[in-house]
Amino acid sequence: MSINSQKINVNSNKLTQVILTSILCSSLFTSSVFAADISFEIEGVNAQPSKIYAQLFNSQDSYSKGEAFSATYLQAKQGINKVIFTNIPVGQYAIRFFQDENNNGTLDTNLFGMPSEGYGFSNNAKPNYGPVGYQDAAFTVTEQQDPVINQTHIIY
Amino acid sequence: MQRRQFLKSMAIVGASSVLPASATLLTAPVVPAMVNVKQLFNDALAVHPELIGFANVERNFEPQTLSLEGRIPADLHGVFYRNGPAKHERGAIRYQHAFEGDGMLQRFEIKNQNIVHRGQFINTPKFSQEQQAQQFVYSGPETKIAHALPVVTPDTVNTANTNIIAVGDDLWALWEAGSPTKIDRDSMQFQQQVHLGAESKYANTLQGLPFSAHPKVDPSGDIWNFGLHPSGNIVLYHLAANGNVKNAGVINTQYRGAMLHDFLITDKHLLIILPSLFTDKSIDGHFEQIKYNTDIPMRVLVISKQSLTVIKHYELPAGFVFHYGNAWEEINGTIHFDASLYPDVNVLHKLSNVMQGKIEQASTKAKTALITLHTEGHYSMQIMPGTSEFPRVCDHVVGLKNHYLYHLSAKTNSLWSDTLSSLNTDTGAEQHYHFGEDYLVEEHISVCPKAIENTGYLIGTALHVPTKRTCLNIFAVNDLSSGPIARAWLPYHLPLGFHGNFMPS
Repeated sequence: MSINSQKINVNSNKLTQVILTSILCSSLFTSSVFAADISFEIEGVNAQPSKIYAQLFNSQDSYSKGEAFSATYLQAKQGINKVIFTNIPVGQYAIRFFQDENNNGTLDTNLFGMPSEGYGFSNNAKPNYGPVGYQDAAFTVTEQQDPVINQTHIIY
Repeated sequence: MQRRQFLKSMAIVGASSVLPASATLLTAPVVPAMVNVKQLFNDALAVHPELIGFANVERNFEPQTLSLEGRIPADLHGVFYRNGPAKHERGAIRYQHAFEGDGMLQRFEIKNQNIVHRGQFINTPKFSQEQQAQQFVYSGPETKIAHALPVVTPDTVNTANTNIIAVGDDLWALWEAGSPTKIDRDSMQFQQQVHLGAESKYANTLQGLPFSAHPKVDPSGDIWNFGLHPSGNIVLYHLAANGNVKNAGVINTQYRGAMLHDFLITDKHLLIILPSLFTDKSIDGHFEQIKYNTDIPMRVLVISKQSLTVIKHYELPAGFVFHYGNAWEEINGTIHFDASLYPDVNVLHKLSNVMQGKIEQASTKAKTALITLHTEGHYSMQIMPGTSEFPRVCDHVVGLKNHYLYHLSAKTNSLWSDTLSSLNTDTGAEQHYHFGEDYLVEEHISVCPKAIENTGYLIGTALHVPTKRTCLNIFAVNDLSSGPIARAWLPYHLPLGFHGNFMPS
């Protein structure tokens, strides 16, 4: 458990940097790079009063390291929930999310690290005898489509 | 939500990002085989009728009163349950490993000089879904199914196919990579996958963890067990007799063998024994990639029952063990245990070959090893002559000094066992009953109504190959060599299974 806390602290610092960097970058480049919104639709969410936290990644590397390009949350509601990422530059992305069903601010897991609360990925990618890789969840933001719609089903 | 709190929460998503990765308790299944396993097996079965114990089972066995030879002892009444894989095939597809088939329970009710048998598939979520689809919809750990649904957690493909124990008023059917499966004692109907520790301080922290198929029940009724993660982390459980969690913990062993089947308890300690296995990730298939390395010593971890932490290590020569009989320790801390010890892991791969109808004439067999762990850190080991598998002791001596060890052995049969044996672990004296080469003998367990060793009975099943029938055998434990005092016949054969237990009434 102490090891986990360390990881969380490290990531917390990194994440703060990533978010700050991404805010700076998006304001700098908005005028020169085409950007679109991503509408990420999560089906099958239960009625538990809770929040859904979602992270957007823009590379294999950042996905592996857990360094999000952008992150957001919303109040969960039963059924379909839409997570919106706005003003996202053209490129390849992957999303992962969890539902904080007991409102303790963290994704609860069993002792071997398997989630015990709802979670999921873009493209409706699912673990299959192993983790969901970046490529399984990857989709593209292009100039042709705005917003980009990606659909998934929550895993309980 | 305050921004700081939000950032903290998101950081946890980041930290947890690899978590679904940890869901992999089993490794990726193999690419579809070009060979038709079902055809190979059927061709071989036509020539080798002894393979019939590995044939697919289509449907449940309705209640059937057995035809009895001999006389059932007056103090033997209760239900003998056995478990094992039975649904090996759906459509044109046959599983590639004997461990993959869906579990089927065999129930032998012994009452009023009568034995009634019933056999029933365990209606797990996997079995139910595949039964409805009339095909395999999930890949097994070894067999890749085309267009399979994703296996999100091990319990998705939990076949509950290895053992069956009594817990409170229920039965738990056990598999080693996921949750126990709760079964109703009388109807043998599936109830649910057990959420260990629910509504206790453990909340969801134990949900879905592996709970191995060889829990040890100590004389107080408490249940001890473990579960292995491929990373080498091992969860340890201490449960009350009703299944409530008293204590749980995780140890990191660095073990990379990906398979750990059994363990031992004494009155003070748990013994986790890590065999000389490693996994070759370049090979496809969960079982196929498990390899033996003589350079890896067997490691014994002595774990405090109180704290569930490792307090001592021992190293033994290289070896592999599926099953242990019993362990106990002296007042000075010297620990004694036995093992059915293999010099390699060929037995695991043999259980894949047999699914394709391959029978190896010269296969490796285990022998009983009597091992002593001395307090100074060294060990001594005595290997008994003859072969040994499915070792058992009387229930009331689990974790305490036992004087007798009961096991199967094979005089001539290369496929399965053909002999029931009793070993006096103090004197080395043995008794055997050789069923003959026509029988495939399954695990025999001790039923000891007086709770005195060397009294009571050994009971177990055997498949008579020429007549394709299974019989239940009852032996007087102190006179094995005279043969069964009662033998009850089914009019058909049952699939070869793994483990069972007797629940007195």
